[in-house]
Amino acid sequence: MSAARPVSEPPPTPPSGWEEYAFSVLAIFIVTAASLILPDSYYLSVGLIYLLAIILLCLRVGRGPVLLAGVLGAFAWEYIFIPPHFSFAINSLQDGLLFGTYFVVSLVVGQLTAQIRAQAQNDRLREQRATALLHLTRALAEAKTLDEAICAALQQTDELFSAQTSLALVDENRDALIPHFASSYLLEGKEHATADWVFRNQYNAGRFTHTPQNSAGCYLPLVRDHKTIGVLGVKVPPEATLTVAQKDLLEAFARQLALSVEREHLRAASEREKLLAESEKLHRALFDSVSHELRTPLAVINASADSLSGADPNLRGQLINEIRTAVRRLNRLVGNLLDQSRLESGTLKPRLDWCDAGDIVNAAVENTRDALAGHPLAITVPDGMPPVRADFALTEHVLANLLLNAANHTPPATPVFLTAGIELGGQRMYFTVADRGPGFSPAVRGRLFKKFVQDDDTRTAGLGLGLSIVRGFVVAQGGEVVAGENPGGGAIITVYLPHPPPKAVAQA
Amino acid sequence: MTKSHPSRLLIVDDEVQIRRLLRLALEEENYEVHEAATGQLALSEAAGVHPDGVVLDLGLPDLNGREVLRRLREWSQVPVLVLTVRDGEEDKIAALDAGADDYLTKPFSRRELLARLRAVLRRTQPSSEEIIVRFSDVEIDLAARIVRRAGAEVKLTAREYDLLRYLAQHRGRVVTHQQILRELWGANAEDSTHYLRVYMTHLRQKLEPDPRAPKFLQTESGVGYRLVES
Repeated sequence: MSAARPVSEPPPTPPSGWEEYAFSVLAIFIVTAASLILPDSYYLSVGLIYLLAIILLCLRVGRGPVLLAGVLGAFAWEYIFIPPHFSFAINSLQDGLLFGTYFVVSLVVGQLTAQIRAQAQNDRLREQRATALLHLTRALAEAKTLDEAICAALQQTDELFSAQTSLALVDENRDALIPHFASSYLLEGKEHATADWVFRNQYNAGRFTHTPQNSAGCYLPLVRDHKTIGVLGVKVPPEATLTVAQKDLLEAFARQLALSVEREHLRAASEREKLLAESEKLHRALFDSVSHELRTPLAVINASADSLSGADPNLRGQLINEIRTAVRRLNRLVGNLLDQSRLESGTLKPRLDWCDAGDIVNAAVENTRDALAGHPLAITVPDGMPPVRADFALTEHVLANLLLNAANHTPPATPVFLTAGIELGGQRMYFTVADRGPGFSPAVRGRLFKKFVQDDDTRTAGLGLGLSIVRGFVVAQGGEVVAGENPGGGAIITVYLPHPPPKAVAQA
Repeated sequence: MTKSHPSRLLIVDDEVQIRRLLRLALEEENYEVHEAATGQLALSEAAGVHPDGVVLDLGLPDLNGREVLRRLREWSQVPVLVLTVRDGEEDKIAALDAGADDYLTKPFSRRELLARLRAVLRRTQPSSEEIIVRFSDVEIDLAARIVRRAGAEVKLTAREYDLLRYLAQHRGRVVTHQQILRELWGANAEDSTHYLRVYMTHLRQKLEPDPRAPKFLQTESGVGYRLVES
């Protein structure tokens, strides 16, 4: 964090304290006393010594004390040193001119000094203000999130003004001020009422403003495009005050903060827009896909039922088969949609139990028998494979989806291979489903396990939910899915599940 | 064996189309069919007609199907076949625990429906006390505790025989893993499904024509086992 120096700020024309006046009197007294040891004829030089003392004084004290020293010096010189001594009379014209010149010079010097000092003071203030703003903009720019930016800004305000700060942002939906958690004091009661007034009226309020409202803090609106997007509050200790310059700086801070908040609002809005467009696209694709997938089997059932009456027994048998196939397809589709929503609702809790891998394989094959018809299926489950720890139904769905995927995305009669086994010295078990089809296109590779992914070149059956469900169900059981190229051609998908020793599970 | 009167069945489902189709299928098999559309009606109907079996849909508009089952079981041991739409095993297991005899997932075929119904109705019929159970080329003599395959005796361990006997006594019906473990190995054996899997593998190797694709000692996905006679 940048170390912000508090702006300890005297006003442009600082009133001099009594110490400065005393210092001036003392200086003139010392010069007078010192000059007394000089011979009388040196009285002209003594005048120059007074002048020198006054110029030196200018470096230390303000205009008033310098003027006082000038007057005091003039009179002391005239009274004590200019002949006749100890009298205000002046004998020669030369002495008169000298005295007059001395008097004017000391006055002018006093005035000039004061101006230079004020100028320097101003420069210093301007520099402090620029540094503070620079620190703030840098902190705001470096922050990755709005909250981070606000934290940085409020902390800096705290340090700069030696005050407590509070920020409340406007919630547009609720038309209310929501205090930000980074605030260093709570907006309560009167303070909140004042902040709210500022939000409604878009005008400074509180202490040090024209509308004090009896509140301890000073409140400034954060305004962009004539809209209040937040309120910044600063509470300085009761004995301290805010100067004009500090108020100025505070307003600059408020403007910077408003910019930051607005930028964040714009970013969030564009993000929302993008998401919306994306989800709209997805929705359309889903709608097209679902209506196609639902209507096709319904059309088959409808047409078959129409043809049933008056069909000869042979045709009748075929029609009934068509209806059965359509029903299975519909059932599978509904099952996938339900599975997907189960996954998304987060209510999926796998019931892990010891299962016979062969049983799972058989159940999956049984459920996909009709879809796999025509594809030679080779199943390899090692003899004596011990029970595996899995959710039977979920794993069955996983394998069924993989088998369907293989059947749907390969030409008819393409062989499909289903293998189970245990590897890594008995630490994990796997199922693989492989085929000799075209494999995965590179385009689809990366998003294979996402929802509604379809190979764009081929319009095949299904919603593109199958692999997304596979992944969801496997991950839910603590496993992982890997897709790859089958050596020798085709696609291969491997499902890995943890294979704990039975004792460990029994004890757990 | 001829029946003196047809079996009375009570069908409980809120969908009129399902009730109509069930009635068609069941009346063709000479069952006497009564219907109820809600859980409350089902309970009063069950008390009124004293059915020999109940086909109960779990998704009813007024009462949860499981609640109907629980209230029914308070006074009746009538066999109940539950219909579910979901293939979530929790629902099935919960229904079986609540006293259902078996379940059927919609959509189901007429053949499945009739087979399940026959199996659950057998529970209360005296002829179910058969001493010899047969499937495939296997013959189980429950009295003599002897199992023969193609006429030759098959050696089974005590645990394997217990498991087979339990399935044979409930043949045609599903038995859950927990039921088996509780009945055969006691209440604190309910976590031992690992052993159950191993015994079942052994049984299949000794009795199934193709142990890799068992036809008779079937696995009910995530729920339990079922011995099928044909």
